[in-house]
Amino acid sequence: MARLLAGLHQTWRRSLQVRVVTITLVTSSLLVGGFAYLIADKITSILLENAKTDVQLRLLNGAEYAAKQFSLYGQPQEAQLQETIDGTVNYLAGGDPQQNSGVVVALTAENWPGVIEPRTSPAANVRPLISPELRAAVAGGNVANQIRTGRLTGDVERKYLVYGSPVPTRFGQVELYYFVPLTLQDTTAAQARATVVATGVALVLLLGLLAALVTRLVVIPVRVAARTAQRLSAGLLDQRMAVNGEDDLALLAASFNQMATNLQRQILRLEEMSRLQRRFTSDVSHELRTPLTTVRMAADLIFAERDGFDPAVARSAELLQAELDRFEELLTDLLEISRFDAGFAVLDAEPTDLVPVVHRVVDRLSGLAERVGVAIELDVPATPVIAEIDPRRVERVLRNLVGNAVEHGEGRPVWITLGMDETAVALTVRDHGVGLKPGEEKLVFNRFWRADPSRARQTGGTGLGLSISLEDARLHGGWLEAWGAPGQGAQFRLTLPARAGDRLTTSPLRLVPADATLPFGGAPAGGLLAIGPGPNGTLAVGPAAPPPRAEVGS
Amino acid sequence: MRRRLLTGVLGGTLAVAVTAGCGIPDRSEVQIEQRGPAAETNLSLGRGTEPPTREAAGSDAEAFVRNFLAAAAGEPDRAYERVKRFITTTDRAGLQEKQGSEVALSVVRLTDDPVIEPDVDSMKVTITVQQVGLLRANGLLAPPLTTESRYEFRLVSAGPAGEDEAGFYVSSPPNVLLLSDDALRRYYQSKSIYFWSSDRSRLVPDQRYLSSVVPAERRVSEVVRWLTAGPSDWLRVGVSGLPDRTEMINNATGSDGRWEVNLDMPGVDEQRLEQLSTQLAWSLPELDGTLEIKILNQSRKVVDLGEQRRLNQLYEIDPNTRRYCVYEGAIHSLAVANEPAGLVPVAAEVNRDIVTAGLRRAGEEVLAALVVTGEDGRQRLAVGRGRSVVESLLRSSTTHAAIGRPAWIGTDGGRPAGLVVADGSLYRFDDQASMRQVPLGLPGRVSAVAAALDGQRVALVVDGALYVAAINWEAGVPAVGPARRLVTSLTNVTAVEWWAENRLLVAGAVGRPSIYDVSVDGALETPLREDTGSQVNHLAAYPTTQLSPLAGSFMYEANGVAYRLNPFERINRDQVQDVTPPPAGARPGDPTAPIFLY
Repeated sequence: MARLLAGLHQTWRRSLQVRVVTITLVTSSLLVGGFAYLIADKITSILLENAKTDVQLRLLNGAEYAAKQFSLYGQPQEAQLQETIDGTVNYLAGGDPQQNSGVVVALTAENWPGVIEPRTSPAANVRPLISPELRAAVAGGNVANQIRTGRLTGDVERKYLVYGSPVPTRFGQVELYYFVPLTLQDTTAAQARATVVATGVALVLLLGLLAALVTRLVVIPVRVAARTAQRLSAGLLDQRMAVNGEDDLALLAASFNQMATNLQRQILRLEEMSRLQRRFTSDVSHELRTPLTTVRMAADLIFAERDGFDPAVARSAELLQAELDRFEELLTDLLEISRFDAGFAVLDAEPTDLVPVVHRVVDRLSGLAERVGVAIELDVPATPVIAEIDPRRVERVLRNLVGNAVEHGEGRPVWITLGMDETAVALTVRDHGVGLKPGEEKLVFNRFWRADPSRARQTGGTGLGLSISLEDARLHGGWLEAWGAPGQGAQFRLTLPARAGDRLTTSPLRLVPADATLPFGGAPAGGLLAIGPGPNGTLAVGPAAPPPRAEVGS
Repeated sequence: MRRRLLTGVLGGTLAVAVTAGCGIPDRSEVQIEQRGPAAETNLSLGRGTEPPTREAAGSDAEAFVRNFLAAAAGEPDRAYERVKRFITTTDRAGLQEKQGSEVALSVVRLTDDPVIEPDVDSMKVTITVQQVGLLRANGLLAPPLTTESRYEFRLVSAGPAGEDEAGFYVSSPPNVLLLSDDALRRYYQSKSIYFWSSDRSRLVPDQRYLSSVVPAERRVSEVVRWLTAGPSDWLRVGVSGLPDRTEMINNATGSDGRWEVNLDMPGVDEQRLEQLSTQLAWSLPELDGTLEIKILNQSRKVVDLGEQRRLNQLYEIDPNTRRYCVYEGAIHSLAVANEPAGLVPVAAEVNRDIVTAGLRRAGEEVLAALVVTGEDGRQRLAVGRGRSVVESLLRSSTTHAAIGRPAWIGTDGGRPAGLVVADGSLYRFDDQASMRQVPLGLPGRVSAVAAALDGQRVALVVDGALYVAAINWEAGVPAVGPARRLVTSLTNVTAVEWWAENRLLVAGAVGRPSIYDVSVDGALETPLREDTGSQVNHLAAYPTTQLSPLAGSFMYEANGVAYRLNPFERINRDQVQDVTPPPAGARPGDPTAPIFLY
């Protein structure tokens, strides 16, 4: 049942045709139903009114006749009165009961029970059909009528129009009743009703059908347009709609087609431009390598011979050597980036234990760390952390992250944490440097982005490291995210699927470090409320803000 | 699927709403439309005398007996109830009730005062009666079925023993409803209704009794019912009733001179309607307004009753009637009191040897049937007709020892005919004076015949008893239908004459020779002359049909002397016109066979 309801709901939401047809059916049903009711009611009341008018005329004539007949008698005990009552009733009933179509005439004398016998023609027990209210009304000297159902003549129950009138006599009042069967009126009303209902239902169905047809005429091109748009968005840029006729829908199709053509042209042009740009970068990098190699060889020679040079020249040779290193590095990164852009990067995944990778990176950077006085603290599980990864790329990402942390650590320790669960492995690198301003969590991954453009590069960063790391993580189907707060340092988290090609849903480690002081309105991941220092040293409670996370989808 | 479901639901809702919403309901509220016609109780109906109640007589036992004999009078439906109030509760069951049209009252004439003999704790009553007839529910007095002449019953005191103030109860009552002729006279009205003769040429009256308790409004209904029920048995051969299966639908209604009768009358046409109108107009003589005749609810004719009567006179009768008599073998006119004397309708040359005569006017003509004595002393009939005076006579071929007074019937239209009694047999004659014997179906000597003014009824005296019979005309020839014997107080009836539509003048003997007025059914009789001295052998009356100075006049002859009433007077010779005074010393003859010419 619930499924049926859900299905109905879904159909309702999805199908314009169903909605239009349903609304048409409902409104037309209400309208037609209302009209049908009015018409049928009118027909019935007209039939009933006519019957009443007829019977009333008969009744009043009958009462007049009966009054004349009874005016001959001064006392209810008189001998021939009963005979006259019989005769009058028979006369008013029209004699032959076969021919009076079931009309029953009755004369009663409420005031003379036992003296005057009530009479009916044809013989029938009319007592049950005269309700006490009607009897009271007629006995009170009124002409009154009522519809009752009962059995008078024959075996079937029929509806009777019971009409009563007082008949004045010299000795008081007797009552004349007519019982006229409403069979004919009932049948006619039923037929009229059936006709009206049939017409109404047919009309409603017709309207529904019409609505369905019209909607179908509109909906089908719209569906075609939707499908075409879907295909277009899926990259099938040569999809077009068929244009039939010259109506609004044809105009839509034509416009749609024009839009698609324009889009296709634009996209192709942009693609071409992008391809040219990437080619250019790659080509430039390659073309620079050859002269660089030559320059390098020359510079190496000069550097090796620097002791023999004037100290100022020797210093220049050292500078040349250093800048050439940076240039080479930059060129390498550019080539790497252009490989990613060109889509030539290939993941060379194999099950690898991440712990030695971490150790290797830390060992390699320990020299630098000692030089700037930064301690690197490791939190690595004792057991191997095996994941299907490309160790070269992961090591490059790690080197990049740890290098950045050491570089921006400002002498404070850098923490590296490795964690895993069934589906993913994660690695966080935490520094306690100046931190990141709000909004910078995403910017850090941009190419050549700098927190402070005026700040000179102390270390030989190219500005492409994090971009490449992000591309590497993406290549794995993993995430590379950053967190930072001013004055509290920053933390980067790399999350990779344990099996290559799996889709990530959660990370084993938290992005926001546990020791982070919550900024105003901030909340730790997973928390809903955050308590933090408010203005003037008070505590402030605020809603948890979404964690700054740079999500990288596969 | 969803759409279909939805459509179904909507269609169903629509159908249900319309079906339930606007059909004729099984039951509705009482709808009062208007005030009905209000009852009017202002008119009090004029009711006649009610028969006396049991208590009316008090302690007078004889009055109680007479009241008991009147108790059944009134509407027949409640006759048993009224009579049973006179009867002790234990004996009430003994009176077997009959229903509806079976109810009939035995009309009896007390021949003596009731004999009341005190007994141990009751009184024994013996009444000797003459059975007059059976008064049926439809007002018809039929001939009696029994000949019982004595009824005995007992009276018990209604109160404690010894106290008579509480009145009496009848114990061991006779098992019939008795009605004395006095009660019939007192609590009923004799009414004439009219039927068309078989040839539909004239109206024939028929007698009915209407209870005086019937209110005036219902009398029209009663009369119409009588008409639809047909004529009396003895009249049937001579008259035709309304078409078979004619019935009145409910009652005749009306007031203020407008009446309405609804009939179911098969085969009615304009002529029949016209005749019916005349019939009704004469049968309802007291009504003067209009009467609407409806046939099966369709108004067919509106009759102005007075106008209808004026246009359709019952009889052609000369109001300027004249008296004649036979004096010395010739017809002479009589001058009585201040009445003018008439012209003798028989020419002088044939006005001789006449014994008795029957004279009638028929339009402009005078019909004369004369009994003349031949030279051989035998009598023969001489018939003649002429304008005001009959010039010549045709004589019958046969002679008879004695021929009674001829009576003309069928004087209007066709050949006139008459009846005459000759030598104890009834003969018919025509204007050619040919006499043919008429079979009567009664043994015995016929001694007198009298014809009613309508020519459809005759009264006969056979062996001293009085009969009435209807005449059936077959191809212009009168035949006498079965005779009905009338029970009267008179014995040894000698002469009869019609002197009103339903009344006979009868001469007979109640101890002594008397002349009585007897109704045509014999029930009501009034002594007119209780001692005529000697037997009356000739009666002549002027029929009381309309206002005339002579209405109610009659003359008779007894012992060769003529008398007249009213006032009673002997007709003397000097009242006879145009006679030559007798020679001195000779005893003048007396005028005989007095007669009216009308």
